[in-house]
Amino acid sequence: MPRERKSHKTDSFETAQLTTESAVASSHAQDLVGQLTHEDVDRAHDRWRVARARWIGRGWKSLGGLQVLWLLVGPGVLVFLGENDAPSMLSYSADGARYGIGFFIPFVVLTFAMGFIVQEMTVRLGAVTHRGHAELIFDRFGRFWGLFSMADLVFGNFLTLVAEFIGVRAGLSFFGIRPGIAVGGALLLVLAVITTGRYWTWERITMGLAIFNGLFIPAALLAHPDWQAVGHALVTWSPLPRGDRAEIVLLILSTIGATVTPWMLFFQQSAVVDKGMQPRDIKAGRIDTLLGTVLATVFAIAAILATVPLFHHGINAADFEYAQFAQALVPWLGHAGGALVALGMFEAGIVAAIAISTSSAYAFGEVFGTAHSLNRPFREAWPFYLILLGSACAAAALVLIPHAPLEFIVLIVNVIAVLAMPPALVFLLMLVNDRELMGEHRNNFGMNVAGVTVTILLVIAGLGFAVATVMPSLLGG
Amino acid sequence: MKEEETKRWKQEAEIEQAVAAEARPDLRDPNVVLSLLEADQVVAAKTHTRFGRRKLSAGIRAMLWGLRIYVFVMLVIVLISVLRALHGAP
Repeated sequence: MPRERKSHKTDSFETAQLTTESAVASSHAQDLVGQLTHEDVDRAHDRWRVARARWIGRGWKSLGGLQVLWLLVGPGVLVFLGENDAPSMLSYSADGARYGIGFFIPFVVLTFAMGFIVQEMTVRLGAVTHRGHAELIFDRFGRFWGLFSMADLVFGNFLTLVAEFIGVRAGLSFFGIRPGIAVGGALLLVLAVITTGRYWTWERITMGLAIFNGLFIPAALLAHPDWQAVGHALVTWSPLPRGDRAEIVLLILSTIGATVTPWMLFFQQSAVVDKGMQPRDIKAGRIDTLLGTVLATVFAIAAILATVPLFHHGINAADFEYAQFAQALVPWLGHAGGALVALGMFEAGIVAAIAISTSSAYAFGEVFGTAHSLNRPFREAWPFYLILLGSACAAAALVLIPHAPLEFIVLIVNVIAVLAMPPALVFLLMLVNDRELMGEHRNNFGMNVAGVTVTILLVIAGLGFAVATVMPSLLGG
Repeated sequence: MKEEETKRWKQEAEIEQAVAAEARPDLRDPNVVLSLLEADQVVAAKTHTRFGRRKLSAGIRAMLWGLRIYVFVMLVIVLISVLRALHGAP
């Protein structure tokens, strides 16, 4: 239902009065007629497809619903499969290789459940306000806090992007492809995807690439996992990891950072806005997010299971990097299995590179008020595309510099994501509870309990890491 | 008021359904474009409007500062941890 919002003036802008009323019925309709952009027309076309699917499917609900769902899925699947990125798959592989089937399997399910809780909130924020996350933080909390938030995002995104290109390089090195060709080819792919000038096309191509995250499933099957042990681990959370407790804490933190990170909040909300989702699409947005969560969880567990043979054969995987897992698995999974893992690492890197560079570009456009949509042609939104490509090129270039501290970046990228998450979650919770912004779509009590619990768990994980680092004797390590 | 809203909502649904019924809408017609978008979804409407600042209570400001300090301290600890790892310290 349409809602009125309390008004308040800012220096140079009129007050936003968000309603769910149609633009054509709004009192500003005549003013808007002459100001429509390419972005509006493309978005209207996407909305027409959804409206038509609803209209055609009104007689046979389930099939019509499926078509509507097909049109509305995207941001949720992309954000979760994008987060199953190169450093994340490395973390899952390390979990399996170091500790086998046990605690980490249900733990991954728990971390993805936490991911679903927070990402669902971004769907509602985007669909109701039609604003990106960075824009809302700057609007509601001001420049001071907004800049802190952006600093966390930019710093984390750049480090993660570097880690993605390391993954791309390492994945393709399994096939003897030189680093320059691997990284250059990945950059060309990022460029090719954004030259479509349409959000819809970009989303479908990226989803098509992202589904190859499932390559870890055949790799896991080649490892002949003990399904009874998997079931036992899921129910009992055991056996618990044993050994160096500081290392276990680091791996726990790294596994959390493989699932919940600040870029995901910014990306999904901006993608929901760019897709043109409306409050009536929130249910589909939830299903989209759940679908992404389930797919990513299954693929992550597959990555753990694929590397379990290394655990059973006592192979020390403590210092393994991306491609080394694939090479080390060849004796047990065969060359095909190793190739699947290597390709999976490559895919994880490339899809995340596309999503994360887009997330940076969205945030930049939202903060500086420049055009920020994949529905815009290059001439209308060149700063957006330059940031997107520039961040990807800078990260790719760093990966090719001889003796660059890449090991350092791989070590810290997931940990930094976890440590930067609590402030990001507090902003998210305040925004999604903001009555003026969200009206009837604001969080209910249960959602707030879940959101606060996730925030507290992340702070505790961070503090555990601090204790393990500064006072390892306290952990008995 | 409630009746007015319901009436408007129904009218808007009718407009959208009329466009949805067309096999190929004429998106060169601005009214067709506007009929498919919400009022605050149009780029021009968003460009000229902003949500105002919300007032932050002392408690919230203290929490935000606390979290900022938390992130800073944690980054220092990460640095220590990585330097140890890179130099092979126990």
